[in-house]
Amino acid sequence: MTQLQDSSGEIPPRRQLRTKPFSLADRVFYGVTKGASSISIILVSAILLFLFSQSLSTFQAQGLDFITGSQWNNTKGDEVFQIGPMLWGSVLISILGIIGGVPMAIAAAYFIEFMAPKPVAKVATVMIDLLAAMPSIVIGLWGLYVLTPVVSHWSELLYTMHHVELGFASFDIPLLSMSNGKDPNTFGGTPFVAGWIVAVMIVPIITSVTREIFSQMDRDLINSALALGGSRSSVFMRVILPTASGGVTGGVLLGLGRALGETVAIFYVLNLVSDINWFNILESKGGSIASLVLQKFGEGTSEEVKALMAAGLVLFVITLLVNWLAAVIVNRAQPWRKI
Amino acid sequence: MSELDLSALPRPKSQPWQVRNPKNTWLITAASVLPMVLAVIITLGAALDPTVATILVFLPLQIIASVSVGQYIYGKKGRGDALLVIFTIFFSTLVGVLLVSVMFSVVVNGIRAMSPQFISQNNVYISPTTSLGYGGVGHAVLGTVLIVGLTTLFTIPLGILIAVYLTETRGRMRSTVRTLVQAMSGLPSVVSGLFIFALLISPNFGNATGFTQQAGWVGSIALFPLMLPTVARIAEEALRLVPQELRNGAYALGAPAFKAFWQVTLPAARSGLITAALLGVARIIGETAPLILTTAPANNTNLNVFEGSIATLPTYLYSYISQAQATSQQRAWGAALVILILVFVLFSLARVLGSAKSTKAKKRK
Repeated sequence: MTQLQDSSGEIPPRRQLRTKPFSLADRVFYGVTKGASSISIILVSAILLFLFSQSLSTFQAQGLDFITGSQWNNTKGDEVFQIGPMLWGSVLISILGIIGGVPMAIAAAYFIEFMAPKPVAKVATVMIDLLAAMPSIVIGLWGLYVLTPVVSHWSELLYTMHHVELGFASFDIPLLSMSNGKDPNTFGGTPFVAGWIVAVMIVPIITSVTREIFSQMDRDLINSALALGGSRSSVFMRVILPTASGGVTGGVLLGLGRALGETVAIFYVLNLVSDINWFNILESKGGSIASLVLQKFGEGTSEEVKALMAAGLVLFVITLLVNWLAAVIVNRAQPWRKI
Repeated sequence: MSELDLSALPRPKSQPWQVRNPKNTWLITAASVLPMVLAVIITLGAALDPTVATILVFLPLQIIASVSVGQYIYGKKGRGDALLVIFTIFFSTLVGVLLVSVMFSVVVNGIRAMSPQFISQNNVYISPTTSLGYGGVGHAVLGTVLIVGLTTLFTIPLGILIAVYLTETRGRMRSTVRTLVQAMSGLPSVVSGLFIFALLISPNFGNATGFTQQAGWVGSIALFPLMLPTVARIAEEALRLVPQELRNGAYALGAPAFKAFWQVTLPAARSGLITAALLGVARIIGETAPLILTTAPANNTNLNVFEGSIATLPTYLYSYISQAQATSQQRAWGAALVILILVFVLFSLARVLGSAKSTKAKKRK
C-alpha cells in the first residue's frame, strides 16, 4: 500500500533494456557476425563499383547509343560496341517466357493446391521444387535436342498463318512474318524457341511461389465464398486471384529476374545476331545480353571486355530492379513471414 | 399402445452433399471421354497434325461438351466451372509433360552413356568419335567436387554468420544486409563470372597480364556470390524457426549471448542449417557460365585447385553439347545425368536430414 501511495500518480519512466554485450566472448561473437555481414555489403558495392569504373570508358565513347545502337565491331581503330539488339532480345525472350509460363504456372499451382488428390499433390510439389533447382545447362541440352525440333514444328505451323487473305485485302501479321520475306528452311534459333526454354525454366519457380501463397490462404475465406453460393470459377476469379495477386506478381517478377539473367540455355538455342529484331519472333535472329557475354569474352580485346562489362552492368541493374520489386511485393503479400 | 422406438437412425453412409446423381456421373464421364475419342477419330481420319488437332479439334470439342454438361447439371454456375476445370487441367498437363520430358530425356539418354568406367575415367586421348567404351567424366566429377567444395568451405560459415547477424543480434545494418543479400540473389551468374574474370584474369590496372591464370580457385570465388544468398536466406529461416523462449530461457539462466547461441540455438536449428548448406551446394553444382569464364577446360585429372586447367561437370557438358558426333552428344547426356543425380541426392539428403532431426527435437520436448 505504501508503495502505491509513494508513486502518487506519477508513472516512473520505462526502464531501458540494454542488449549491449558485457563479456569479451559476446563482443567477439557480435563482431564476427557483423564482419561477415559487412562482406555482403562490400561484395555488392564492389561488383557495382568495379563494373561501373571499368565500363565508364565504354559509356563515354558510345554515349546513349550503347543502349540503343545495334553495331558491334571490335576491329582496332573503329571499335563500336552497342547492345540495343541484345538488350531488346533479352526483354523480348523474357516477355515470351512470361506469356507462356504464367498461365501454366498458375494453373499448375491451382491444380496442386485445390484439385489434385493428396499423394499426387505431394509428388508434384517435390518434383516442381527439384526442377526449380535444375541447372540451366541441363535445360539447355534438353532444349537443344528435344524441345527445339518440337517448337520449330509449331513455328512452322504458326508461319503458315502469317498471311491473311480477306478477299478485298491481304496483309501479313507482323508477329508471325519474317522481316526479309521467306527464308526458312529452319525455324530453330528463334526468339520463339528461346521463349519456350525460358518458360520451362521459370514455370517451376513461379509455381512454387504461387503454390506457397495459395496454401497459406485463409480457407475460411474460400469456404464462406462457396457457402454464399459462389461457384469454383467465381471463387477463383473473385476471391483466390485477388487475394493472392500480390504474391503471384512477386513470383512472376522473380521468374523474370531469372529469365533476364539466363545464359547458357539460351546461348545454345538462340541465333545471336547484332541486328535488332523487334517482333518477328519466328525469325532466326535474336539477342540476349548474358549470352553475348559468353560468346564474346574469350576472343575479346581489352576494350571489348570493358564493353561486355558495361553490358553486364546494365543487365545487373535491370535484374536488381526487378528482384527488388519482387521482394517488396512478395513481402507485402506474405505478412506472416515478418520480414 | 405400441412401443415407441427410440433407437438412433443409422448414420447415412455418405454425407448428403456428397451424394451424386448417377445420371450426372455418367454425363460427366461421357463429357470427359467422348471429345477425346472423337478428336482421335477426326485426327486419324483427316490425317491432321497432332498439335493442330489438339488445339483446333480436341480443345473446342472438350469445351463444348463440358460446358453443355455443366449447364445441364448445375445451370449457369456449371459453365464457368467447366471452363476453369478444362483450362487448369490443360495447362497443368502441359507443365507435367514438359517437366517429365526434361527428366525422362536426361535419364533415358544418359543411361546409355552410363557405366562404371564413364564415372571413373577421364577424358585423355578421347576424340569426338571415340566409342563410349572409353573415357568418362571422372576428372570432371573430381573437379566439381574440389571447386564446389572450396566454395562451400568459405561460403557456408559466412552465410550462416550473416543469418545469425540477421536473427540473433540487434545490429543496425540488418535491413541493409537483408536487402543486399536479396539483391545478390538476383546477380546473373554470367555477370558474377565476368566480374571475377575482369578482376583477376584479364589484363587490368595497367598490367600487361592479369593477376592470375584461369584456375579452379578463381572459379570457386566466382561461385561465391551465387551461393551466399541461398545459404543465408535458408539459414535465416531455420534460425527464425527456433522459438524465442529457448533463447530467453538460456539468457535467464545467465548464459551470455555467445553461449546461448552455441549451446541452445545452434543445436536446435542444426537440421535447418544442414538443409541450407545442401541446397546452397545444389544451387551452384550445375552453374556453368561463371566456370566457363574463370576456369580452363582440361582432359586430364587435375587435383590441384590452385593451379592449371581443371574440368568440371558443367564445363564438360558445355564442351560436348553442340558437337555433331552422336557419341559426343551421348557423353553430354551422360554428364547431364550425373549432374541430375547429384542435385537429386542433395535434395533428398536435405529432405531426410531436415525432417528426421526435427522430429527428434519434437520428441525431446
